[in-house]
Amino acid sequence: MSAIPVLFTKNVKLQTDNQLRNAYMDREDSLSGNRKYSNEEITVYWKPSACVHASYCYRELIEVFDPSRRPWVDMKGAPTQKIIDTVNLCPTEALTWKWNDEVRNRQVGSDQLNHIKFRRPELLEKEPEEPLENPVSVKIMADGPIVIKGNFILEHGGNRKEITDSIISVCRCGKSDHQPFCDGKHRKTGFIG
Amino acid sequence: MEEKKDKKNVTVVEVIESGPLRISGNFILKDMKRDAENAPGEVWLCRCGRSADKPFCDGSHKIK
Repeated sequence: MSAIPVLFTKNVKLQTDNQLRNAYMDREDSLSGNRKYSNEEITVYWKPSACVHASYCYRELIEVFDPSRRPWVDMKGAPTQKIIDTVNLCPTEALTWKWNDEVRNRQVGSDQLNHIKFRRPELLEKEPEEPLENPVSVKIMADGPIVIKGNFILEHGGNRKEITDSIISVCRCGKSDHQPFCDGKHRKTGFIG
Repeated sequence: MEEKKDKKNVTVVEVIESGPLRISGNFILKDMKRDAENAPGEVWLCRCGRSADKPFCDGSHKIK
């Protein structure tokens, strides 16, 4: 197997580390009795040690939360929004939830009481620990364009172009005659944003 | 042989036709007007000028 190029071994190792870590975390969770239940949109976390038996969950939505059934949570029992509303009633962090799409999780507001961002932030997917080198700079100019600087790939109209150490300026007002790029028209039209 | 870049370290700027600008990967987003700075990993930025959630897209471009 000496023919494997060195550049692949790092990727293989990273993948193995992640798999090991996930397996370890899953094992820790199952030993502590914590469980998670998912449908296509959300995951509900169950932390029995935090439950004070306020019983809002099964009084509100027995179709999903039925303590006499195993498993006691059936994510197919109700629409996602109904499940979210019910989990939000839980007065402790025994029931928490998150979107499966991490981008959506970042946009959740504090009205979503039992979202893990507010109850159990340790369960949110973290940004990569090691800072990545040479981040691209994306600046939203006041009442002006998006200015992007650095090394990046630009995809536009089916084309894919590698941009190296340069700056592009993307129109935000929608009025440029040189789309998608800025041509200064935002000043004439009085764009605010 | 050219070394394959770590996917996370590649930043992709995608101009979505008649839609927002999607940026993903390794980048710092700095909003000069609202004085905010972070590294969100992925954003959809408004290009039509009509979003109520600027600088982000809120789907307003689809409304005729």
